[in-house]
Formats: sequence, structure tokens, C-alpha cells
Amino acid sequence: MLAGSRAWRLAVWAVVLPLFAVLYGLPIAVIVLASLARTWNGALPGEFTLLHYAEAFRSDSLDALVTSLMTGAIASTAALACGTWAALALRRRVRLPARLLEAVFFVPSAVPSVSVGLGLLVAFSQPPFLLNGTRAIVLIAHFVLVFAFTFGNVTAGLARVPAECEQIAESLGARPFYRLRRVTLPLLTPYLIAAFSLSFALSMGELGATIMVYPPGWVTMPVRIFALSDRGAIFDAATLTTILGVATLIVLTVLSRVSSRAMLR
Amino acid sequence: MADLAAHAVASPRPGRSFRAGLLWVVPPLLVLLVLFFYPLSLIVREALAPEGEGASLLHIETVLRSREFVSGLYHTVVIAGSATAGCLVLGFVLSLVIAFIPFPGAPIAGRLIDMIIALPTFLMTLAFTFIYGSAGLLNGLLVDAFHLEQPPVDFLYSQWGVILAEITVFTPFVMRPLLAAFSTIEPAQLEVASSLGARPFRVIRQIILPASLPALLAGGSLCLLLTVNEFGIVLFIGAKDVITLPMLVYAKAIQEFDYTSACVIAVVNVVLSLGLYGLYRAIISHFGGGNAGRV
Amino acid sequence: MVDITAQEIERCAPLDGVRTASRTSGSRIGFEDVSVAYGGLTVLKSLTLTVHPGEIVALIGPSGSGKTTALRVVAGFVRPSSGRIMIGDRDVTDLAPYDRQIGMVVQNYALFPHMRVEDNVAFGLQAQGAPRDVIRQRVPECLAMVGMSAYGKRYPRELSGGQQQRVAIARALAPKPQVLLLDEPLSALDTQIRRAMIDEIAKLHHDLPDLTVLYVTHDQTEALTLANHIGIMRDGEMQAFGEAQALFRHPPTRFAAEFLGRANLLSVGGLTAAGPGEARVRFGGAELLARNPHNLPEGRDCLLCVRPHHMRFAGEGAVANALTGVVQSVQWQGDVHNITLTAEGESLRMTCVPMAVPPALGDQLRVCFDPSEVTLVPEDAPRG
Repeated sequence: MLAGSRAWRLAVWAVVLPLFAVLYGLPIAVIVLASLARTWNGALPGEFTLLHYAEAFRSDSLDALVTSLMTGAIASTAALACGTWAALALRRRVRLPARLLEAVFFVPSAVPSVSVGLGLLVAFSQPPFLLNGTRAIVLIAHFVLVFAFTFGNVTAGLARVPAECEQIAESLGARPFYRLRRVTLPLLTPYLIAAFSLSFALSMGELGATIMVYPPGWVTMPVRIFALSDRGAIFDAATLTTILGVATLIVLTVLSRVSSRAMLR
Repeated sequence: MADLAAHAVASPRPGRSFRAGLLWVVPPLLVLLVLFFYPLSLIVREALAPEGEGASLLHIETVLRSREFVSGLYHTVVIAGSATAGCLVLGFVLSLVIAFIPFPGAPIAGRLIDMIIALPTFLMTLAFTFIYGSAGLLNGLLVDAFHLEQPPVDFLYSQWGVILAEITVFTPFVMRPLLAAFSTIEPAQLEVASSLGARPFRVIRQIILPASLPALLAGGSLCLLLTVNEFGIVLFIGAKDVITLPMLVYAKAIQEFDYTSACVIAVVNVVLSLGLYGLYRAIISHFGGGNAGRV
Repeated sequence: MVDITAQEIERCAPLDGVRTASRTSGSRIGFEDVSVAYGGLTVLKSLTLTVHPGEIVALIGPSGSGKTTALRVVAGFVRPSSGRIMIGDRDVTDLAPYDRQIGMVVQNYALFPHMRVEDNVAFGLQAQGAPRDVIRQRVPECLAMVGMSAYGKRYPRELSGGQQQRVAIARALAPKPQVLLLDEPLSALDTQIRRAMIDEIAKLHHDLPDLTVLYVTHDQTEALTLANHIGIMRDGEMQAFGEAQALFRHPPTRFAAEFLGRANLLSVGGLTAAGPGEARVRFGGAELLARNPHNLPEGRDCLLCVRPHHMRFAGEGAVANALTGVVQSVQWQGDVHNITLTAEGESLRMTCVPMAVPPALGDQLRVCFDPSEVTLVPEDAPRG
């Protein structure tokens, strides 16, 4: 549309496509290749091996994967419940108090994760809440960090649920909770799944707050990957990164399938 | 029906039910107060009046005047500013191509963009180690080709490495609102402009750029916020002289157990971030969520 | 816009005449001095109106006239800033929508997209806690009522607009409400289907004579065909209210005459009384005789309302109410001829049965109308 002549268009492609490939395709390819490499001294890996994967699934790294998946699932579920509740409570309220409350719910997304971790560390190392060194503190950190995104997504989804359907339900005698259960939530389902997906992905990659608060027995993938990379074991780090990426994408793909089915119905 | 009232649901005469309804917000608010605002307030308290000592501004002054803090603030600002500028330029160009000069692989490119957003930020840094590191792909190629003694490319462990990694990681956050904004530009408008003899650059400057300005501003301010807060990339690069505020907070608290200094720096960091966040929200609400493409 | 000809409108007598409370056991809808204001803006100004049990009242008016607001006040989605809403003998002003026992149908159907047709219809009964076997019996009954029995297992997205609206009506009627609110129910449908649906609704009301209906529309055909009484709304106020035929024949205001049936309105002067309920007025050089149902005083300047289909060609001899005009346009519309004339500087439209040889442009044409079919209407008070 923009480029008038064919030559112009080809020229644009010739510049932009390689740029795109180098910026986004190459890094992902390199990580995957490194996870399969025994050595890498020249332009390309010397020898390929599955040793890193065998290693990954034998050692603590498997625990890290399970830890990350569980943390992501628990924190995202809690954030979804809490965020949906908050979004429903503030729905269609246009007055100032409600607008301010909405802003309050968005604040955690603006605060750097390391500071969130520091705050939790300071707050929960002293009475009345002594949680330092427990798994709960990691879950709380992840919950706080993904909450605002869940809240935002659900709020945006609620705005798209047709008001007329809900009003008709009310006119037919549906009380608020009945209407919520039978009309609002079913119509909201695709957005709930999208909100969960985003927060799950965020949680899977979270490093800043986790590294501040994690206890010895609850090491997430990013923390483990950093430890490996810091030790110089970059091939193992690449392997775990690949596993983390693949696991995240599998969960997201499954969720988006479920979501599109919910949308169709 | 264009009746004014047709879409208004809130009652013009708020009864008891209105205020009672707002009470539903208390449980999630309480959760957030305990888990987020209470810890945040303790950081501020610790920064202002360290435990076991009286309130003193002397300590704060010491921290804020220390070389590591000044250098941390400097690096944070420079890295965030440069990375954001880079994201805006790169994001604008890539979005332009995807939206208006569609190429065969465009859908795949779109998927890749979404994937990058979903993946952890440090993935890019790790990949950069393999590509641009001293024993990496690029240096390997160059050393082989020109029979060099030393690896010629050595920018990764400087702030340029951080900036490049951040540009790559955060450009998708600019592209999303931009692509949304581009999709609202009517193709007919561009066709008319072209048929009137406007060259591509003129069309971009006079039609596309003004229409996407809100999205650029929103994406840019979001980028600033994300880059100021970014931790994983800086940590993974691990360059000794590239320390940002989040990195400094981590180092003080975890490596030096100096919680008070960590809290002082964290407060500065949080204030900076909240300011940027306020800017982002202001832009969104000024242009209306639709135009700016809220993320 | 469907514009069935005026002859057709007059042929259709109101459904069953005006029913009264004594004949039926339904509930009335009562607006008692109801006002609605948003911020500083009053969108409904002290409306007082009763829809008698078993009656259809249509509220008709242009966009922004407050008619939808009036309906939504009854439904409970808009709270009046003053006044009371009655359904039957209950004051429902402070009741939530779900406690009002109303049925409601809106323009865009608003079927629940995630439920099958039968679940949509069952929704109200389930929400109100009806026993399972009642629901099992009532749902097919309601689907049959609107001719949608074969579609129970479908999802709304698999239906056409007209079918969706039938389901929406069945859904509204399933819990047997006393009161049905229809908000532009046919506006999203195309002309053909709309005509069929008007007949359907008329038939439905014939089968459910106790149902009290408030029908909001901007379409005069729907209002004239279906309603016993019509209220004409403008700027949040009820401009005119009356029995459908009377309102059409003797519009009380200029706005009512123009909005309902697009009448010719001639500025006339020098009113003098002439017999019971009639008056003589001057139109340019001509003297015209017309009905004066609103008893306008002598000497008053007013408007003469002539429906296009009441104008006839006058022969040569002396005829009452004759005017001579010049033909400005002639349109053939299949079943009618539309002719526009200018007489005494004013434009006049007439419709007549198709002619083999229609008058040509510029022809002088002598037309007349029966004094009993033309009405004097007061000029509206200056607004603002």
C-alpha cells in the first residue's frame, strides 16, 4: 500500500526482513542450538548432544521447573480470583472514589520487582507476619507482581461484555449472583483465560523479586538459570531457558485453544 | 437509540445500594494493602528512620551522595532513555512494514513478537552472550575470516549491551499499540494520498505519524517505565560498571545486607517509576484508551 | 422506513378497540409525574401516563426524545429523579429490575450467545426458581408461540435476525410477565421481515389479551398498526397522547401532525365558527371549511392539516374546499401516484391511485378535500 513500486517494496523487505531475523529469530535459534551443543568455539556449535537435556531432567533443574509451574499456576489463579473480584466491584462506577481505587489496583505494575521483593523481605521478616524463608513469600511476590495485569485485563474484558445481555437477564428475574454466574462470567471466560495466560507467562519469567526472597527449597527456573549462567555453565543455562520457554508456550497454546473454544460457543 | 440515557447504567439518584456496592471492593483491597502497600510503607519507614536509630536525614544524604548511587541513577536514566528511543524507532519501522508493506512471513513475525513478550527478558541476554560474546558467533566468524588475534567485537559487557538487549526485548511493547493504531487508519486515505502524488515519506509524515502519535507516546512512556524497572537483563550481563537502581537495591540488600541503604535507593526508584507510570496513565487517558492502545 | 400507505392505516382498525381494566385481569403501567435528569440535563420531564391492562401503548418520537428513557424507567435500569412508577398496584420505583416481573425485548435481541435457544427461553423461569417440569413444559410452548419450535437446540449465532428476535420475544414471555416492554424491537430488521413481525406481534397480543405492552419505536407504521394509544414524545416531553386513530385524524399539535403520517400543513387565518365543531378559515384567496376539534378561538391564525390521501381531483362545478395549484412533481410508486403542487405559495402533497395519464409538470390542477377529513391545528408555541 505504502510502497508504490515493486522495487521499493523489495528494497524495504531486503532491509527489514534480515533485521527482523537477526533481532528476533537469531537469539531464539541460538539458545536452542546452544542447548544442543557440546562445544561452541567457531561460528557454529562443534558437536550436538542431548546431554544437557538429560542432565536437566535428572538434577535440581527438574525441581526448578516444577517449582516455576506451581508458582505460576498458584500465583496466577490467586491473582485471577482477586483481580476479577476487584474488577467486578469497580465495574461501571464512574465516580471519583472508584476511579481512585482503580488507580490503586494498578500501582503494583509500576513498582520495580526488586523493590517489591525488598518490601516483602522487610515486612515479612518481622512480626506480625513472619514468612521470610517460606515458600509463601515467593508466591506472594509473584501474586503482587501479576495482580495488576490480571486486574487490567479483566477490567478490559468486562467492558466488552454486552450490557444489554445482563440487563435482559435482570429483567427476567436474575438476581445479581445468579446473573453473574450464568451470564457475566460465561461471557467473560475468554478474557479470564487471556488474563491468566499473561500472568502465568509473567510469573514464569519473574526474576527480580524472586531472587530477593526465595528460600533454599523453592528455586524457580529463572533463579536457577541465573545461578548456572553466573557459574559459567551457559550451555546448561541455555537448556533450561529452552525448557522454560517451551513449557510457557505449551501452557499458553493450550489456554488459547480453550479460550477460542469458549469464544465460539 | 441515541437517547442520552440509553447507555448510562449508573442511576441518576444513587441510593443506598450504590455505596453498599462499593463495599465489595474491600476484600481485594485488603489483600493488596497487606501484601503490597504495607511492605511498601515499611521500605519508606526504613529509609527515613532505620530500625534502632532515630529519624535522621544524615543517612539518606550519605546514600544519595555516594558515588555508586549517582552512577546508578545516571546509568538508569541513560539506559532507559536510549533504549526507549531505540524501541520507538525500531518499533515504528517494523510496525510500518508489517502493517503497510505486508510480506509473506508477516503473520509469523507477528507470532514471534507475541512470543517475545511472553518469554523472560533474560533469554535475550543469554542469547547475546552466544552471539556477541567474546567467544560468540560473531567474534568467531570475524576471527576466522580475518585471522585476528583478539575478538574484535566487545560491547556486550558495557551499557551498550544492556541497551541493545532492552531495545530487542521491549520493542514489541511499542509495536502492539502502534499496530492497533495503524489498523484504524483507513487504507483509502493512504491510497488517495498516493494517488495525489504523495511519496511514501510524505504519507508517513503527514498521515501515519500524526495518527499514531498517541500510540507512540503511550508505548514510549511504557517503555521508559519497563526499562527503568528492568533487572534481569542487567543482572545477566553482569558488567561491573553497569549498575542501575534495581541492581543497586539487589546488591545492597542481598550481597551487602545493608537494608537501610537498599531501602533509600528503592524509595528513589519507586518514586521515579510511579512518576513515569503517572505519565503513561495521563497519556492514555488524555488520548482515550482506544487511540493509545492500552497494553 | 416502512411507509404503508395512509389508506392502509385507516383500514386497520385498532386491534380490539380500547380495553378497560374491568374486562381483563392484567396489570397497568403507571407513570406518575416521572422526571429523569442526568447531571443538569433533564431527559424526561414530569411524564404522567397510564397504560391500561391489556393495552398496547406506543411511545413514538425522534432520537433523543426520551422515549427509551421512559421505557428503561419502567424496567428499572434508570431511576427517576422524581415521581413514581406503578406496575399493577405495586409502587416499583425503588424495586430492582429483577423484582419487577417484566418482560423486555430490545433492538439488538441481546440473546445470551453462550446458551442454546431453549436455554435462553428457560432462563427467566430458572432465574425465578420455577420447578423443572414447569420449565420443561413452558419452553416448548413459548417456542411454538413464536414459531421457533424447530430451533431449540441451535445457538443464537446460527439464527437470522428475525429468528433471533422471535426467540427474544419467547424468552421475555416465558415467565408469564404481566407487562411487556418492547424497545424498538423491529428496528434492526429489514422491511420485509419487519412487516411480517408486526403481524406476528399483533397476533401474539390477540392470543395474550391480558398482556400490557409499552412499545417504543420511531416508526409510525408499527405504532399505528399495533397500538391502542400513542404518545408522541419530543425533547423529554409528551407532546400528544391519544387513541391511535383519533391522534392520526385530529393531531393536536403541528409536531404530532408532521411526525405521525406526514400531513400537509397550510397556514390559514381569519377563523370563524361555522356550525358545531366546524370552522371557516381563509387560505390566500380561498375560503375553506374544516373540523375544529380543539375549539380554536375566532380570528386565530392556525394550521390546516390535510392528509395527502384525502386530497381529490375536483371537477369543473362549484365544490367546497377547492384549491387550484401548479404541478411541481409527479412520482409513480407502483401502487400510488405522488403529486406535489404549489398553491398560494405553499407546497401540497397528494397521493392517489395510479393513473393511466398522470398530470404533466406545470399543469394547473384543481383539487379539493372533504371538510370532515381536515382538521385545524394550533401553531406550536415558539420553543426555547
